[in-house]
Order: sequence, then structure tokens, then C-alpha cells
Amino acid sequence: MLVLLALSAAPSRAQNNYEIQVYGADTVAPQSTMVELHSNFTLDGSRPLPGSPLATDGVYPTEHVEHETIEITTGINDWSELGFYIFTAEKSGQGVQWVGDHIRPRVRAPDQWHWPVGASLSMEFGYQRRIFSTDTWTLELRPIIDKQIGRWYLATNLAVDRSFHGLSVPQGVTFAPAGKVGYDFSKAVSAGLEYYGDYGELVDPDNLHNQQQQLFVVTDLNVSPAWEINFGVGVGPTAGTDHLIFKGILGRHFDWSHHRPGMSDSIQ
Amino acid sequence: MSAMNATRINRRDFLQGVCAGLATASLLDPPLAWPQSAPDFKLDIAPLALEIAPGKIIHTFGYNGSAPGPLIRWPEGKPVRIQVANHTDIPEIVHWHGMFTPSNMDGAMEEGSPMIAPGEVFTYAFAPRPAGFRWYHTHTFAGHNLKRGQYGAQFGCFYVEPRNNPGAYDQELFLTLHDWNAYMGGGGDSTMDALYDHATVDGRMLGHGDPIRVLKGQRVLVHLLNASATVTHWIALSGHQLQVVAMDGNPVPRPAKVSAVRLAPAERIDCLIEMDRPGIWIMGETRKEIRAMGMGVIFEYANQIGKPQWMEPQPVSWDYTRFADPDPASRPPDLRIPLLFESKFKGHGDFDYWMINGKSYPHTPTIPLQKGRRYRLVMTNKSTDDHPVHLHRHTFEVTSLDGKPLSGLKKDVVVVNGKTTVEVDFTADNPGPTLFHCHQQSHMDYGFMTLFDYGA
Repeated sequence: MLVLLALSAAPSRAQNNYEIQVYGADTVAPQSTMVELHSNFTLDGSRPLPGSPLATDGVYPTEHVEHETIEITTGINDWSELGFYIFTAEKSGQGVQWVGDHIRPRVRAPDQWHWPVGASLSMEFGYQRRIFSTDTWTLELRPIIDKQIGRWYLATNLAVDRSFHGLSVPQGVTFAPAGKVGYDFSKAVSAGLEYYGDYGELVDPDNLHNQQQQLFVVTDLNVSPAWEINFGVGVGPTAGTDHLIFKGILGRHFDWSHHRPGMSDSIQ
Repeated sequence: MSAMNATRINRRDFLQGVCAGLATASLLDPPLAWPQSAPDFKLDIAPLALEIAPGKIIHTFGYNGSAPGPLIRWPEGKPVRIQVANHTDIPEIVHWHGMFTPSNMDGAMEEGSPMIAPGEVFTYAFAPRPAGFRWYHTHTFAGHNLKRGQYGAQFGCFYVEPRNNPGAYDQELFLTLHDWNAYMGGGGDSTMDALYDHATVDGRMLGHGDPIRVLKGQRVLVHLLNASATVTHWIALSGHQLQVVAMDGNPVPRPAKVSAVRLAPAERIDCLIEMDRPGIWIMGETRKEIRAMGMGVIFEYANQIGKPQWMEPQPVSWDYTRFADPDPASRPPDLRIPLLFESKFKGHGDFDYWMINGKSYPHTPTIPLQKGRRYRLVMTNKSTDDHPVHLHRHTFEVTSLDGKPLSGLKKDVVVVNGKTTVEVDFTADNPGPTLFHCHQQSHMDYGFMTLFDYGA
């Protein structure tokens, strides 16, 4: 299925503008792998401080920076998968720079449980360089619930983050919810709205001014079961948010089971 | 009824609308051609707790408390009376699949056969023909209720005994394939489909039914029926070849040996198997995922011990032409009837709707025929789904598979693969409303039906 779009975390967090995606509850099928390229460009974001190449908190600014992330996810069985990320950043005159890597196991409620909604739990752990993020070692737990009702699709990701090294350590557990409402205009074209927030500390949220609040208009193109294509544009009205971002995901599904349609070894 | 309302009717609405009157009328007016005598068979439709393996109970509806229902064997052409009692809470009906029945006895509401109201009894009376492996099953709407209709246990084998049966076999078996506990799944890039928790042969999961005991040197005739609501199955017997001798109960022109057979929903295959490899073997789905769900049965040679073994068959690409004559049909049709199959998208979270020539049943116009004429159905499947299409009350001859001519292959269900064209010929020799539909329950429920009609 099409992996759904999202963004996690506040501007100071690890995956800022690297993987903008609301997760669906489904996992990649066993004996298959999904390779995705996340391409995100920040048109209006953080800028360098006067006389410095860096922005607030000693990280590179995001404005006019292209973030390219490679995500490789392979199915373990029919209820779990393992994902791996390579984050990079590109800016004119600075070339391509490695930002960090994450690993992400995920489990979901098997179909046989017959739950009325899709449900899964993602755990993402990884490292990002200090020059790109205020926090270098981070962990995210992301419960995911989704539901397809006819042409409508609803998803919510209620992520909690914990930094183990960096400026956010004193905050403890932070809360970063995301959600999506989509509508199938045809078999090939779906569109919808995605919301991304980072409220800061779970038990003592930041004030609205400092929270991350973003809204994306997105579209998914279901042109082939082997491909996923989606793109969108997002705005962030608060001070703690990049204000205008363009994002895209191009994914290719590889099936290693060698099932051949119409043959006795096929699952078609 | 307004035009807007008319477009919202589905098969269930249509059936509910006309059910009461027809049912009542038919119950009060049974056919007069048969004397009012005691029934030859009785079928009780009732809730059933089916234990497919120890502790695995399927709560469903079945015939006479079992799945499959009782095997009915009856001489060809001899009038039979089958009394059906409906002990469920919804109107029911029994379709006599593959037989040349009158429309009002065929067991399809759309043709005018009566629905049997809850608590009521109806007696079907007809002279079964043609000879061969037929079957019976419910013909009700299921829609999103994946416990009713053909998702349940209302199916059974009906063998119409030929006048002359050479009996060139030592043992005869009837084996039925079925999938259980359906639920809506899939979605994402594709639309929803029915997925299942379990699969069985003759109502038991692999390893939990009685083994089939055979002797070395025996020839076993296996009548295989795919009674699944929606799933096409591939079946092999480990280490043995299956000689296909009949399809949908009709002898094939060129019997051939294969390592596995494919059966779409409602298809039947008769195959002869030489018991020439002593051991304890699994006959089952070729795909391990479905064997793991339970679809298999054990063949046990005498004096053999050990665990049942599975041996991968050689991969088979299924091709009807292998069992047919390669020549074009000897008799050209009098008329060609083009039928275009298309899907209508209803969202990734729902079943597709289906159209024949741009219309979904009950809005598909009835196609008039003339008795005695030979028709060719030119079926073009524009969708990517495969469709096992079924013509009621007639047998057709498959005459072309995506431009490749063939002849002599007589069937009542044929798979029209996605993005292909299949042609079949039939002679209008059994007057009355005649239903044509995809045998996938979710497809027939959501529009994939039309009627032919002609008088005597």
C-alpha cells in the first residue's frame, strides 16, 4: 500500500524536514522490500544568524536546503517490518552532506485479529550530526491507527520522543502528534490534508508560539502496485515551524517471492 | 421510483423488492408435472458450528449440519424431489449448479425461482441432467456480511449418474475446497477484497481430517470442487500426476496429465490419479501460505508409516487449451453477443462495483434470445481482475481464449483473465430467464450479472 505522508518533530528535532510522512498501519509484506526517496525542499525556513553560517541553537539553517532521505523497509513477516534511513542535506555551494541514520522496527495487529481499525507501533532509534540537529541520539515511539472507509482514509500517529544526547534531554518525553485525512478521487488519485505538530514536553507543553504546527496539502498517485508517488506543500504558521516546504516521495516496491501470476506458485 | 433512487438499487434491494411476491406465489403453486410424493432428499438449512480442527470452530450456516452438505447421486433424467427447509433468519434459495433445470427450479431469484422464507419449506422438482459432476449452493446476497452467501457452508456435491458408467477406477472421491472467516482486507493501492483465516478440504484443516486410504496400483477418481466464495485454488498431490478427464462435469476432448490443477470459484475438475508412489502424502494447495491455513488432505498408502510429506510439484501455467481440441468450433454461431466487463471504483476501502456493457445489475438490460439459435458470447475483460463467469441452466463450449481458437471444451464456468477476451458458444435450448454472472460472491453482489431470456 501507499505509505502515507508525514513529518515528525519540532524544528530542533532529529528528523526535521527529512522524512515528512504520516504512517499508515500496514507493514511491508514479507519477502518484499520498499525503497523510498524522500525529497523535501524548504522554501521559507530558518535563516543564519547575522555574521554566522548557523541558525539558532548552533544548527545549519533550513531555508533553501534540500533534504534527501533514503528509506529502505523490508517485511519480516505478515505483521512486522524493519526500516533503515539515510538522511542527507544539500545546499547550493555546500554539496551533499550526511546527516545521520535511523533504524525503525515496526509491528502491527495481524489481520487475523480482525480489529476494526489498522493499528501498529513503530520504534525509531538513531543518530544525527550535531550541526544538523540539537539532539544527536533520539528515540521515537509512534502508535499508529488508521481506517479506510470507502473513499475516505483517516490516520493518526501519536508519537512520543526522547532525546538521549542534546539540548532536548531536560525536556524528557515530548509529544508529536500527526494525522491525515485523505479522499480517493479515483483509483489512481487520492488527495488530502496532513497535520504535524510538536507540542514539546508531554507533561508541560510549549506555548503555541513555540510549538510546531504544520499543515500539508498532499496527493498520492496509485499508478502501479510497484510504485508509490506522493507529493505536497506545507505551511507552518508558528515561529517554531518552517513556514513553507515542498515534499515528495518516490517509492519502489520489490517482491522477492518470485510468484508468477497465473502459475501454480502464484499468490495472485 | 425516481431515476435517482433507481441508480442506488443493488442486488439486495432488488431481491428484497420482488422476493415476497414471487416466493409466496411459487410456494402456493408448485410445478404440476411431478406427482406430490415424498421427497427423495431433504436439506435443512440451519446454523452450524463447524469444527475444522480441534478448537477451531466456524460459526456459519450449512446443509444438514455438515460442510459440505450431503452428496446427492441421482440417475440422469430421472425426476427428483428435494425438500429444502429454511431454519435461518433470512430468505434462502438453493441453486442446482450446472444442470438444465427450468428457470423456476434453478434456484436463482433473478430467474424467477422462489426464495424460501425463514421457517418455510420448498420442494425442488426437476429431472437432473446432463450427467456428470454438478453441485448445489446458496444463491443469496452477502454484500459486506462475509458470513452469508457463499462465504458460509451452504454447498454440496451433486453427481448426476450417467446411463453408462464404465467405472475405470478403483476408488471415487468427492473433495470440496473452501475458505473460512472472511474479512475485508487489502486496500491501499488496490480496492478491498475478501481475505480469509482458514481453508479446508471437505470442511477439515490439513492434518485434522480422516486420511484417504489407498492401495498401490489403485486408480482413484477425484472429483474436485472449488466452493470458495472468491479464491482461486491450485491443488496437487505430492509425487503424483493428475490426469484431468473432465471439467465442470463434462469429459474433456484431450485428457492430459498435470502436476497441479487450477480451480476458480465454482469450477470442478475430475482427475484420475494412479497410486504408484507408496508413502503418506499431502494433497493440498500448492501455495504454502494457503496450506498453512489448512487447505490439504492426507493420502495414506496401506502399510506406510511416518509423517505426511509435501513434495513441490513442477510449476504449472494453467491453460484450458491443453485439454481441448486445437481446431476452431465446427459450427459457427448464429449471433455474437459482445459483453464488456468493467469495474467501478468505490474507494480503496470498499469492494469495486461491476458493470456489463456499462450497466450494473439490476440495471443491465435483459438480452433476448431465440430458441434453437447458437450464440457466441464475446467477453472482454477490461479490468485487471480475473472473472470466473457462469451461465445458468446451459453448458457452453469454449471457442476462443484471447484470440486462440479451441473447441470441444464444454463448461459452465470459465475464467476470463484480466485484460483478455474469451469467447464461448451455447445453444438456446432451455427456454426461460437465464442468469449470467461472475461467480465471485463480491462481484455478483455488486453488479456483475445480467439475464438472457427466450421463450419456448
